[in-house]
Amino acid sequence: MRKDLVFGMAGSGGDGIVSAGDSLLQAASAEGYHGVMTKSFGSQIRGGESSCRVRISTDPVLNPGGNLDVAVALNWEDFLKFGAELPVAGTTVVIYEAATGVPENQIPLVGVTPLQVIAVPIAEMAKSTAGTERAKNTVVLGLIAGWFGIGGEAVMKGISKKLAKKSQELVDANQKAFDAGVAFAKTHPLKADMTVEPSRTKGAVKLLTDGNDMCAAAAIFAGCQFFGGYPITPSTEIMQFFTHHVWKYGGAVLQAEDEIAGIGAAVGASFAGKKAMTATSGPGLSLKSEMMGLASIAELPLVIVDVQRGGPSTGLPTKTEQSDLFAAAFSAHGDVIRPVLAPTSVADMFRTTIEAFNIAEYYQTPVIVLSDQEIASRKETLDPIDTSQFKIVNRLLPTGSDLQDYKRFKQTENHISPISHPGMLGGTYLASGIEHVESGAPTNSGSVHARMNDKRIRKFDPLKDRRDLFEITGNPDAPLALIAWGSVAGVCREALQMAREQGLDVKLMVPYLLYPVAEQTYRDFFASVQKGLVVEQSHLAQTFKVLRMHLDLPKGLQSLARSGANPFLPGEIVAALHHLLSELQRSHEGKLQPQE
Amino acid sequence: MSANATCEFQAKDYKSDLKPIWCPGCGDYSVVQGIYRALAAVGRPPHEVAFISGIGCSSRIPGYTTAYGFNTVHGRALPIAQGIKLANPDLLVLAAGGDGDGFSIGGGHIAHLIRRNIDITYLVMDNQIYGLTKGQLSPTSQKGRTTCTSPYGSLENPVNPLLYVLAYGAGFVAQASPTDLAGMAAIIEEAIRFPGFAFVNIQSPCVTYGEEVQQIKGLKAISENLASLGHNPADRLAAMDLAQHYGEKLHLGVFYRNPEPAPTYDALIRERQAALSKDAPPKERILDLFIKK
Repeated sequence: MRKDLVFGMAGSGGDGIVSAGDSLLQAASAEGYHGVMTKSFGSQIRGGESSCRVRISTDPVLNPGGNLDVAVALNWEDFLKFGAELPVAGTTVVIYEAATGVPENQIPLVGVTPLQVIAVPIAEMAKSTAGTERAKNTVVLGLIAGWFGIGGEAVMKGISKKLAKKSQELVDANQKAFDAGVAFAKTHPLKADMTVEPSRTKGAVKLLTDGNDMCAAAAIFAGCQFFGGYPITPSTEIMQFFTHHVWKYGGAVLQAEDEIAGIGAAVGASFAGKKAMTATSGPGLSLKSEMMGLASIAELPLVIVDVQRGGPSTGLPTKTEQSDLFAAAFSAHGDVIRPVLAPTSVADMFRTTIEAFNIAEYYQTPVIVLSDQEIASRKETLDPIDTSQFKIVNRLLPTGSDLQDYKRFKQTENHISPISHPGMLGGTYLASGIEHVESGAPTNSGSVHARMNDKRIRKFDPLKDRRDLFEITGNPDAPLALIAWGSVAGVCREALQMAREQGLDVKLMVPYLLYPVAEQTYRDFFASVQKGLVVEQSHLAQTFKVLRMHLDLPKGLQSLARSGANPFLPGEIVAALHHLLSELQRSHEGKLQPQE
Repeated sequence: MSANATCEFQAKDYKSDLKPIWCPGCGDYSVVQGIYRALAAVGRPPHEVAFISGIGCSSRIPGYTTAYGFNTVHGRALPIAQGIKLANPDLLVLAAGGDGDGFSIGGGHIAHLIRRNIDITYLVMDNQIYGLTKGQLSPTSQKGRTTCTSPYGSLENPVNPLLYVLAYGAGFVAQASPTDLAGMAAIIEEAIRFPGFAFVNIQSPCVTYGEEVQQIKGLKAISENLASLGHNPADRLAAMDLAQHYGEKLHLGVFYRNPEPAPTYDALIRERQAALSKDAPPKERILDLFIKK
């Protein structure tokens, strides 16, 4: 029996492979399993390749998993397009469409001998039972239920519910296709037992959602009443969620005429006193940068979500990458600090988005949430979240005495000035992109500019002391270390567990606050570190470079960085840690040898 | 609301302490006077007015009023103004800027505010030149015009702002000029009172970089009052016909006023909020949407 299984399935668009993954995850979640599902496509709408990866576990899932335990190929051409996104190893059971005509001993995977390879006449079974090849994905679900014991009843219950609206005939046809899959599995047993242990939390209430929907829900919970945006993959679902729900809470959403107008409207809404948000991806972030600068100098709260994809330009619009850190931290000209936060999973997207609003409102600043395509579109099963534990921060409004002689940009001890909004008697002022004195009146004075820059930059000092925006696990005094953020953090959490089980003395830092760089927090973390890795999906190693810009890094700290799309695997990170350890041991031996 | 419903405010109540930084004789001095008078006539208290501008000489204007002002970035007065109006429809929202701001760098926005019919009044101070950057070609400069970026004469046709907004279906389109301050104040007032997107093109001469014929005297020579021409402002096609003479004639007054104004976007939003908030679960329970049974 297994605690954990990773499925990877690929086919042509229209084969329904992603919808099969959805059914599998929903069924597993209904059975009380934990699970994560990621999808990957070409950037076309129909035709072309599509795939999904579903990880099901009896324990909470940290990431979409490494090598596949089960690979399903409806045709080889499409499967191979995903390359390292769907890695097959010696431990993988490979199931594929027999109609491809490829013999079991000649499957086109180079340099690997899977645990078992099974050709199944999937299309033929679909046709003979349901009368149409469109039921191929249901046959696959039957095979999975038969071989791996996941979601037998729950899968068909879900499918029936979905199809019942259409016709009972369709439900019956799919039931037959499903049963055929189960029957095939029973008559062709696997060499090794790969069934999953029964869930220990059967019947428990679970949430099932993806990072984009979670982000939008968190924003509404945090009190966001305005969203201005423009459709762009892979962030659009955030705006879509708002169009369904924000009205219910007295808010509004605008699908603007372009990216600039989207953030512009959000800046306007914030000026009008409302919590406001926009969301985008790389190209949109580039377009929004002038408005981000305006929000910084006008000291207006604003949350900007950047769902990262491969760049530059259109790049890989449907695949994940962590290459927008420079743009998030440094785009928009001038001397400015713009806080950048990053969630690591769908679950902590809730907390991170609320934190972004709290920081934006408290510090009167734009805040960027650096999500990524993987978190945005992956579905996770979650335990219910107790929303009462989250504190909501609102901007500092002027008091009656402040309004006697109101100065919008008044110098205060903590550099934060009470902020009025239109409609507030006594609070009128001129907001502007031009430098201004305390009242808001424009100025060209160099000394005022220096003072105001100082105010706008030093107000963030306390943010750097927020240790709760960093997660440190493992032995705090370990000589080996990992640093990772965003979707890569989940891979490193699993790598940390594996490495510690293998006896490595290692710790992991996951920053939720990427910028400004919290120097002292890193220095304290680095105190014990002799060797370590900053793991990131960025060819330029942007995180490593931002850290190096602000800190003297330990000599043994290295970068493990590469372009996006292809996920890091926990195993390769553990291997890299072993390598670091042996380097460390060699250097120690070197030191111990008496000098000749 | 009748024109003299409230007399609580006078023009001076909308004038701020900031001394305008414009060239002596600039048309914008008159425009800001016209705005004070119009706001006083409408009678909304200054703190309920949000006045948004872009970048350019004319975009300094919100700072010279006692309203909540926002001097934003080049070309983006309208995107920001629409966010303000949608976030708080109770506010009176004015937007202003020059011809470069409205019809060049920000030229893509106006069509969308018009089709949404957001209740904002947009005042463009059109002087056919970039003044703040010292005299370059603008989107409304006449073909052949020599400027410091067109030393051999412009090769481009100008944008016709009036035809542009009429073609997109703006509910209120007018033109004014400092040649007639009282008339300008009345037009701005009417634009503010119009329920929906209202556009006023104001021929405001640039005394430093403008040509001789574009100064007050030259403008007076080509100006004609639309009312005295017998123009019916309910006739959109007649308005478009007249608007074709932009650049040759200065028609002052209301080109078009939709006699049956459509509901505004901000009003429709209110309706939607009211309808959907009735049975909404509290936001503390928003995650219940993700429960899978």
